[in-house]
Amino acid sequence: MSGSARSLAKGSAPPGPVPEGLIRVYSMRFCPYAQRTLLVLKAKGIRHEIININLKSKPEWFFKKNPFGLVPVLENSQGQLIYESAITCEYLDDVYPGKKLLPDDPYEKARQKIVFELFSKVPSLVTSLLRKQNEEDCSGQKEELRKEISELEEVLTNKKTTFFGGNSLSMIDYLIWPWFERMEILELNDCVDHTPKLKLWMAAMRKDPAVSALLMEPKALRGFLNL
Amino acid sequence: MEDATRSFGKGSLPPGPVPDGLIRVYSMRFCPYAHRTRLVLRAKGIRHEVVNINLRNKPEWYYTKHPFGQIPVLENSKCQLIYESVIACEYLDDAYPGRKLYPYDPYERARQKMLLELFYKVPHLTKECLVALRCGRECADLKLALRQEFCNLEEILGYQNTIFFGGDCISMIDYLFWPWFERLDVYGIADCLNHTPALRLWTAAMKQDPTVCALLIDKNIFLGFLNLYFQNNPDAFDYGLAC
Repeated sequence: MSGSARSLAKGSAPPGPVPEGLIRVYSMRFCPYAQRTLLVLKAKGIRHEIININLKSKPEWFFKKNPFGLVPVLENSQGQLIYESAITCEYLDDVYPGKKLLPDDPYEKARQKIVFELFSKVPSLVTSLLRKQNEEDCSGQKEELRKEISELEEVLTNKKTTFFGGNSLSMIDYLIWPWFERMEILELNDCVDHTPKLKLWMAAMRKDPAVSALLMEPKALRGFLNL
Repeated sequence: MEDATRSFGKGSLPPGPVPDGLIRVYSMRFCPYAHRTRLVLRAKGIRHEVVNINLRNKPEWYYTKHPFGQIPVLENSKCQLIYESVIACEYLDDAYPGRKLYPYDPYERARQKMLLELFYKVPHLTKECLVALRCGRECADLKLALRQEFCNLEEILGYQNTIFFGGDCISMIDYLFWPWFERLDVYGIADCLNHTPALRLWTAAMKQDPTVCALLIDKNIFLGFLNLYFQNNPDAFDYGLAC
């Protein structure tokens, strides 16, 4: 899997232009934001190549791809660059044919974006809990995370559907999945104890071909976080 | 102006359902976020009604429109509610025909969304400057930070060599930025544009846009609102209305 290629670091030569018929994603194997883009690429069957970036020792040329120096970044054969994970995902859905991940209906599309905003506090809470795993008391943050997760449970309860966009998996599910995958691996499962619909959603997500193809090796993630 | 109506406060009756053929925006006459949505409604010629909310004294029913009682919120005749100003603006562009404010090209669309990310510190910094000045505090550091953000935007205009952020015609991204630039003068921080000539040219060009023009807020009325607002007077929101 090209996603497991060694990362490029400071001092590395920049990669050449992107061949026609392909799109390139600058990524990092354990980055949840980049995972969003990889999920969409997979789900839509888009031919792509992955270049992993060493985020602790970034190549100088990478800042020409994204002035913020962050992954993910898309680069196409016309040299156009797109960054910010949610923007890359929407771009891919707009440009490439096949299964549409965002709804056509303007209201349903807006609803997905509203749910995305509801989710917005979760990434930083999960990240800081990951970092504190063996350290001080993190019950305050766990409470906060539970609260945010309850709001998402409410969405599923009100909608009465399996997925956040309806009865089939769609963009919003892919956008939030990476953090729930990490919660499971890092045993923050008690944060979803009181949210039965979310538990069902997580089980349904694991059955999706794109999600299961990109599932991380728990040992690999733990090893990465320890480094 | 369409939004020159008294605000709804605590104890008020909720407005009825939205009539067919109309869309309603819950707003406040001086709110920059709601201003974005009103600009898009105007630019696209969308028939709409404005319901102003007294933000210091929110009606209980308003929390059924937005869980945290924020504005703007769109409500259509199917009782569908859309909020977050950027989401509301995109919804209007998608749902209504006529002039498209976002580009058709997916890459250009993505460019505008990336530009919006560059803007994210501006609302908070301008508000902090306003509060500091109004409370008689110094804000040199804040102004410096704001100038830096403006430099970043200046660089974009320089690199693109276009008048507007989306090209040579005004488009969505310009409307999404505009409300904070319109407020620089009345907030007392217009000098933050001193070192950014392209941005000054952009503001001049924006002021020539018919939509921006039509919604320009009178400086004296705005100052009257700010005076009352900083005195915690709940009548602030209706300042300047006829009766």
